[in-house]
Amino acid sequence: MELDELKIFLKEKLDTQHPEKSTEDISALLNKNTQSVIGKIKRSLWIEIIACLVFTLACTTVGVIGKYTSLRIYFSIFAVLCFLFLPVLWFLLQKTKKLSSTSLPVKSNLEFLVKILKEYVKRYFQLTMALIPITIFIAFSLGYSEENLHNPELHNPFFPTLTGSMRSVVFVITYLILFSAGMYYVTKWYLKKFYGNYIDQLQSLIKELEE
Amino acid sequence: MPEANKFINLLNHNQNIIHKVCNLYMDNISDREDLFQEITLQAWNAYSSFRNESKFSTWLYKVALNTAISFYRKEKRKPFIQSSTQIPEHADETDNKEEQMQAMYKAIAALSKIDKALIMLYLEDYNYEEIGSILGITANNVAVKMNRIRTKLKEESKKYYQFS
Repeated sequence: MELDELKIFLKEKLDTQHPEKSTEDISALLNKNTQSVIGKIKRSLWIEIIACLVFTLACTTVGVIGKYTSLRIYFSIFAVLCFLFLPVLWFLLQKTKKLSSTSLPVKSNLEFLVKILKEYVKRYFQLTMALIPITIFIAFSLGYSEENLHNPELHNPFFPTLTGSMRSVVFVITYLILFSAGMYYVTKWYLKKFYGNYIDQLQSLIKELEE
Repeated sequence: MPEANKFINLLNHNQNIIHKVCNLYMDNISDREDLFQEITLQAWNAYSSFRNESKFSTWLYKVALNTAISFYRKEKRKPFIQSSTQIPEHADETDNKEEQMQAMYKAIAALSKIDKALIMLYLEDYNYEEIGSILGITANNVAVKMNRIRTKLKEESKKYYQFS
């Protein structure tokens, strides 16, 4: 059978081959949640905003009632950092809400989705990676300060005197390397799993359209 | 909400388009329902961009194909095979014709997402220029792709027909 024969056949017979939806059914569908990739990004941003709020509150609490000065400063800095993230996330959410590319031509829509996803993944990765040295730097500058090391009254259990033992130095360095490498690979894996494979799929569709 | 009512009425009259796209891209009823819902939502979200410059049906095709092509499911889906129950049985039609039709459906089901979109628009009588504008490619590119698809379908459907 040739394609043109199928065309005639289809017109004659297949137009009525599906259950019709009533206007009530369609109306009810408009109140459901979208599963589109833009919808998923919106949901992710909402989760991040809520997490940011919870984390800000938790850090503020520790910052106020914490036992050690170093811990209070550490968590207060993170409370401020988290609080500063809130307007950024809110801005991203509002920007994403305005996005709707489905009425664009298919190729433009695919390119648009790839661009948005790549940007999101890039920023997410940069943010996570930037937090690693910041965390380490703040932790060490507070915990491993001259004041802490030479003030036995503080009894700082988190940062023992590293100069006293080679073993402790090796342990801390190994810990830092493993922590950084772990964060790097876990973030990469997470982004690849949730977005990377999908981006590859969309890019192959764009390539196919261009061929 | 007069806008919503207008949209619902327009969609109701053109729901055939969404059903066709769902049947082409999804292989089971549950997935088709999900895709139908997603297309409806995406069409509603994008409705403000509909300017009556093109027919509503053409605009809806664009939205439906965009949604179906970018619809992401984690699990690997088997290619869509239209079962015989979905094709009307007509006593006056020869079995031979039905078998050939089944073979052609199987061949279409094995096509890529982009090729399926091309075939769908072609079967809906859109010309190469219109198909190109919906897909965002040139009419020449559409012509080249259609030739490739025709050859592919001919070969593939022969295979299915021989083995059926």
